[in-house]
Amino acid sequence: MKYKKMIGIGLLLIGLLLAEQVLAHTPLCSCYDNGDGTVTCEGGFSDGSSAAGVQMRVENTDGKELIKGKMDKDSEFTFKKPSGEYKVIFDGGEGHAVEIKSKDIAK
Amino acid sequence: MKKVIGLFIGLMVLVQAVPALAHFQMIYTPEAALVKGGKIPLVLVFTHPFEAGHTMNMGKPEQFFVVTSRGENKPKKTDLLGTLKPIIWTSLTNSGAAWETTYSARGGDHVFCLIPEPYWEEGEGFYIKQNTKIIINVGGEPGAWMEPVGLPTEIVPLAKPYDRWTGNVFQGQVLFNGKPVPGAEIEIEYMNHEPLLDRRAFAQAAKAEAPQDAFVLQTIFADANGIFTFGIPKAGWWGFAALGLDPDYTYKGKKCSRDAVIWIKAVDMK
Repeated sequence: MKYKKMIGIGLLLIGLLLAEQVLAHTPLCSCYDNGDGTVTCEGGFSDGSSAAGVQMRVENTDGKELIKGKMDKDSEFTFKKPSGEYKVIFDGGEGHAVEIKSKDIAK
Repeated sequence: MKKVIGLFIGLMVLVQAVPALAHFQMIYTPEAALVKGGKIPLVLVFTHPFEAGHTMNMGKPEQFFVVTSRGENKPKKTDLLGTLKPIIWTSLTNSGAAWETTYSARGGDHVFCLIPEPYWEEGEGFYIKQNTKIIINVGGEPGAWMEPVGLPTEIVPLAKPYDRWTGNVFQGQVLFNGKPVPGAEIEIEYMNHEPLLDRRAFAQAAKAEAPQDAFVLQTIFADANGIFTFGIPKAGWWGFAALGLDPDYTYKGKKCSRDAVIWIKAVDMK
């Protein structure tokens, strides 16, 4: 009986923690043209938590993967600007992906 | 008779101790919460913002810098003093020496900090030095807005300064050398005339009208922990100035009021 109660409370707590993580933050990613043939993307979450290690992809308009990488320890990802139109995908997992089109990248 | 003279002297001292009329050091940029990064304009003006009144001549600032931070990254300080250009700012009654610059902002928090040259206030017979900061954010990802920058006199926000709706409260803590100042006196003014950056002047039109002089400059006191709370009644920029945080401070052999100023911007819910 005692154990069941504890397991119940434990599950409840885990549930709360999971819910917190899902609800409390929105993924954010902005990219900037560095003016030297490279682009830097800054990633993060609206609650200020780090995006270090998040998968990054650069694709052409047909969805072909051009560049693949990860957010570094400062939640930044710099890549060589491909020729033509492209898009950058910040892949923070389900419900946490952000897509940025090349035409929206600030100089 | 002696009593009367004593009382009179007492009154004189009290009158003298009343702080100078609502001088506010401004660091101004139109938006506190930007959707996208890019170049933003900044102006430094020392004025009476509610009335867009007498604008004082600023000397060359001692320090002007920005502390940027994004997410959990370590805040980074960048000197901006060398980028400042002298301008003349026109108020509704005069014009005064001011400064301007532009800044390229990327994502996160940008805390702009100004340590001005003390200003000699002839009418009061003392110097005024208002260490000032504003905090802007690009993109919504917060950084270290809640951390003290380490200015000698500083107001540290306890509420995110760029996410306030009109009607929210703003809370801050007044610090002197990093320690809370119990009971600090805080003056509050509304930026009642829009700064027109292209004309380097305040707009003629006022956004609000004060029914009586007391409303031009509101006054509150911090609590025992140096914390103050203010309900924001109208959208726009609000300035908070904690006065005389170092009563013994002097500059060039004269008394100098060492103040801390912060500006925040509230936005209407629409």
